[in-house]
Amino acid sequence: MRVDVLRNVFARNEAAAAENRRLLDQRRIVCINLLGGAGSGKTTLLEAVMPRLRGHMRVAVLEGDLATTRDADRIAALDVPVVQLLTDGGCHLNATLVQHGLARLPLDEIDLVVIENVGNPICPANFDLGEHARIAVLSVAEGSDKPSKYPLLFKEARLVVITKCDLLAMTDFDLDQAMRDIRRINPDALVIPTDARGGRGIEDVAQWLRSRCRVGADVECLNVMG
Amino acid sequence: MHELSIARALIEAAATAARDAGAQRVTRLRCRVGALRMVDPRLLGEAFAAAREGTACASAELDVTPVGLHGRCRACDHDFSISGWDWRCPICGGEGEGLTAGDELELVSIDAETSDEG
Repeated sequence: MRVDVLRNVFARNEAAAAENRRLLDQRRIVCINLLGGAGSGKTTLLEAVMPRLRGHMRVAVLEGDLATTRDADRIAALDVPVVQLLTDGGCHLNATLVQHGLARLPLDEIDLVVIENVGNPICPANFDLGEHARIAVLSVAEGSDKPSKYPLLFKEARLVVITKCDLLAMTDFDLDQAMRDIRRINPDALVIPTDARGGRGIEDVAQWLRSRCRVGADVECLNVMG
Repeated sequence: MHELSIARALIEAAATAARDAGAQRVTRLRCRVGALRMVDPRLLGEAFAAAREGTACASAELDVTPVGLHGRCRACDHDFSISGWDWRCPICGGEGEGLTAGDELELVSIDAETSDEG
């Protein structure tokens, strides 16, 4: 017999993501999914931005990795609550893992949860975790062709952070071309070039996060902000 | 390798649909995969072959229908096929569009049979 199904393959993940979003909305917590390739500079970006959020909002991090707690240790050194989510070899986080992570955070004392996804420019972009917005990270070292090669990562990002801009002079990275390609894929995304070592753009990223997360602000309103 | 997650999710969705229909075995799954999902069809086939063992889909075949990217121009409303990751409108050159097709990841239908069949 033939049975019509017409069901999203990730329906179960999306149901768990919706539960996460409901929990976060109830508690008026904003949640950001930080995505990018391995070595793109996600953890370094967080290390640079976190001190600039102190005093404005209470932040926690869910740190996704295949193995080790090295990234979580780096975040914990900033005195930020962090839970390491290990995928045991899996190439992406899913909403259920995030659910377990959220359960281990002191949610009553948090305004912003940043989920640092597994370093991978492809697979994680397919999985809704219950976040309110995505940040895509692209490093100068990866090359300016990556927005065109990994469009899903950039298509669904509200903010694109280009990292390691201190390397621009040493590479063939074409910043204008990368910005054009990102805009073509996602005209609504804000693009911020950064350099965590020199400090370029870091305050802009911090400002973007602070504006997303004014304490007591309406999460629904935050969702529609550019 | 999100293909393995996709294969497992397909198998689970198919097994659930078969059970709901009162069937025990799935013999074929038909799915649609949009280009934006960046799924390698060969890898998906291999992942499916590995993941189906011991499930209601153990002897099932997987049909994958690829769906190309389509966009609608925000400037002139033209609906067009996006090729070579060039997202510009071919009519007016407008940059940026709403995606109208290409992000699918769907189990469309299955063929299933009961224990006393086949």
